[in-house]
Parts: sequence; C-alpha cells; structure tokens
Amino acid sequence: MQIDWWTLGLQTANVLVLVWILGRFLFRPVAGMIEQRRVLASKALDDARVAQAAAEAARAEAERTTADLARSRADALKKAAQEAEAEKQGIIAAARTEAERVREAAKADIARARADEAAAARGRASALALDIADKLLSRLPEQARIDGFIPGLAEGLAALPDEIRAGLGADGHPVRLKAARALSDAEVNACREQLSRALGRPVEIACETDPALIAGLELDMPHAAVRNSLRADLDRVAGALAKGSKAGAPGSNGSATP
Amino acid sequence: MNSPLVLEPLFHVGPIPITSPVLVTWAIMIALALICRFATARLTLEPSRFQAVLELLVSTVDGLVADTMQSEPARYRALIGTILIYVLIANWSSLIPGIEPPTAHLETDAALAFIVFCATIYYGVRALGLGGYLRTFAEPSWVMIPLNVVEQITRTFSLLVRLFGNIMSGVFVIGIVLSLAGLLVPIPFMALDLLTGAVQAYIFAVLACVFIGAAISEGQASRKSDGKEPTSP
Repeated sequence: MQIDWWTLGLQTANVLVLVWILGRFLFRPVAGMIEQRRVLASKALDDARVAQAAAEAARAEAERTTADLARSRADALKKAAQEAEAEKQGIIAAARTEAERVREAAKADIARARADEAAAARGRASALALDIADKLLSRLPEQARIDGFIPGLAEGLAALPDEIRAGLGADGHPVRLKAARALSDAEVNACREQLSRALGRPVEIACETDPALIAGLELDMPHAAVRNSLRADLDRVAGALAKGSKAGAPGSNGSATP
Repeated sequence: MNSPLVLEPLFHVGPIPITSPVLVTWAIMIALALICRFATARLTLEPSRFQAVLELLVSTVDGLVADTMQSEPARYRALIGTILIYVLIANWSSLIPGIEPPTAHLETDAALAFIVFCATIYYGVRALGLGGYLRTFAEPSWVMIPLNVVEQITRTFSLLVRLFGNIMSGVFVIGIVLSLAGLLVPIPFMALDLLTGAVQAYIFAVLACVFIGAAISEGQASRKSDGKEPTSP
C-alpha cells in the first residue's frame, strides 16, 4: 500500500475548490434567502405586533367610549326620569287643580240648582199659598177682601215720610189705588175718607182693578208705594223664606208678619 | 495482479498523473457547480419544491453545526456542508457502473481529514489566538502536551481510516460478491452500501464539527477558568 501524493494534493485542492463553489453558489444564496425570509417574517411579526397594539389601543378606546356612552345613557335616563317625574307631578297638580275647579264648578252648579229648585219650590209654594188663600177667601164675603185692608192702607200711608206724603196728589192728579176687585162706591168713599184722614187733607183717588192682589189695596206713587194686600203679604213671606233658605234656616216662613 | 489499493494514473497532465478519484471528483465538482448555479439562479421568497429541498439541506447543516459546536453556523457552513455533500455523493457514486467512489481510496480520505485538521487549527487560532490555541495543548497541565499532540494526529488519522475502511470494504464486498454470485445478488449489499455511505458522510461531518468545536470551546473554557474574557469564535 502506498500513497499517491499527487492525488492527495489534487484531492485536497479539489475539496477546497468545491468548498468555495458550494459556498459561493449554494450555501450563501440559499442562506441569504432563508435570512431574507426570516427578516420579512420578523418584520411581518413586528407589523402584526404593532397592528395588534393599535388594535388593543382601539379596543381600549372603544371600551372607554362604550363606558362613556353607558354613563351618558344612564345620566340621560336619570335626567329623563327626573323630568318625567317632574312632569308627572305637574300633570297631577294640574289634574288636581282642574278637579278642584270642576268640583267647585259642580258645587256652584249644585248650589245654583238647589237655589233654582228652592226658588221653584217657593214659586210653587207661593202659587199654592195664593191658591189656598184664594180658596179660603172665596168662602168669605166679597166685602171682606176690601174692608179689612182699608185701615191698614191708611196706616201704611201715615208711616211714609212727610215729604212723600206731601207730594201725594198735590199736583191735582188722583192717587192710583189698585184693588183686588172693582170697588163699590161705598168702598171708594171709605178709602177716600181714610186716606184723606191719613194725609190730613182731601185727596182724589183713581181706582184700578188687579185680581193678582187676591185681597187688599195698594197705592202706587211715583217715588213710593203702599202695599196692603194679600199678594204683598205672600211676597213678603216668600222673601222671608228665601232669605231663611239662603241663611240655611229652612222653615222660617211662619215668622213673617205682614 | 496489481493491488486494488494502488492507484494507476489514467493519464498525465504534464508531470501530474491524473487518477480515477481525481477524475470522479472533478465530475462531481462540475455536476454540483452546474446544479447549484442552476438551482440558485431563481430563488424566490415563495420556494419551489427543489428550493425547499435546498433550504432544508442548508437548514440541516446549520442545525448540525449549531447543535454540535454551539456557535453561529454561518462561518462553518460552507466547510461542513461541503464535506457532508461531497462525501455523500462520492460514497453513492459507486451506484454508477464502472465508477469507483473516490472515498474508497486513501488519498481522498486523507485529503478530507487533512482539511479538517487544518481547519481545526485555523479556527482554533482564529478564535483563541496562536498562544491561546497552543496553550490548549497544555490543558489541564503541561504534562499532557505530548498526549494532546498525539491526540490531534490520531483522531485525524482515525477520521480518514474510518471513512476509508467503511467505503473500501463495501466496494470490496460488492466486488467479491459480484465475482462469486450472479448479477442481482450484490443488490442488497449495494443498498447496504448506500446506508453505510450516508452514515459515514454524516459521521465525518459531525466529527469535523466536533473537532473544530472542541478546538474553540476548550480554549474558551480554559479562559473562563482563568477569569479572562472569551474571544468570539
């Protein structure tokens, strides 16, 4: 066995050349490509991290915005609830006021209706009283409708103030005397006599008939009147009843004095 | 009859005899150069299948260097990768009829082992400096200097003998079986020879890494124990 030194040297040179060839044309470009891909991948990862950080920041911002929106919504709801409560209280107060007004109006209507009813009742009572009085008087003689009222008429005339009595019949005009029925001459003379006595001077009378008086006599003057009739008495009774019912004291018609 | 271990020159270039290992090595060099030139001319970021195979090969070499030497693989990639590829192709060249693998001859294995030996010294001196590298022979004491020197020589010798023995024996076995049996009988032995060739290529590359890495790491370890800053390899 022997070593061929030429072959040994040539193979050494060949391997060294092959190291250069493979290093130049295989390992360097391929390793460079791997490194380039690694750099790109690293850059892509860095970009992804940056994008992830941006996304995290955006998410945090979105969460913050969401929290702000939720807070604003809660505040708005609270404010709306307060406004609704205030409006509700206002509506309730207005409703109460309106109800009070309606109740007062109803009270007024009721009072007015009661007053009207009372007036109607009084009217009916007056009509009934007139009817009763008329029926009762129809049982008396016709003379009683006049005779008993002449002194009272004279007393009423005497109770007038002097200046009114002085002006009565002073200008030559006769005194207007209303009677429940047509007066007879005797009754006219009696009336004239009584009135002249009350005035202290003679006076002329002009008789008128007013069946509404029922019974009695009345004097009509420009500035005064003397009523001494059953009708006037009933009116005074009705007035007294009305006054009593307004005062809340019903049943006072028995106290009226003609 | 001539010994099969004796190389007969095929022709002469001037005074230089050209033997079959040299000729086969030239053919391998030309083929590899053309393939690499063609393959790396169209590298893209989105690799084709062939580019993926090339990147897998480079990544494997880088992983081998990084795992074995615990160092950045870029500086040693060309040497270790070339040794791996060349030894593998040289071993498998026996599949071509009439071609005798260059690694079945002592000169080629000696050349590879000599290159590894020189690379060990080169990278050791480069990493530690001449004094630092020489001091590694005195570790752990100066008494070990002869043994360390002998170790450098014997492990290089074992490197070449291991590769030469395995490949040469495979070629001999196939030749003997082929002369004794029929045409198809040597095929299992050839398949076994393929496995042996791949394993020997891997072992040669790994041992080269180990030797170079040892030259670097021994000096760094001794400097750390002396409290000195290690030099970057």
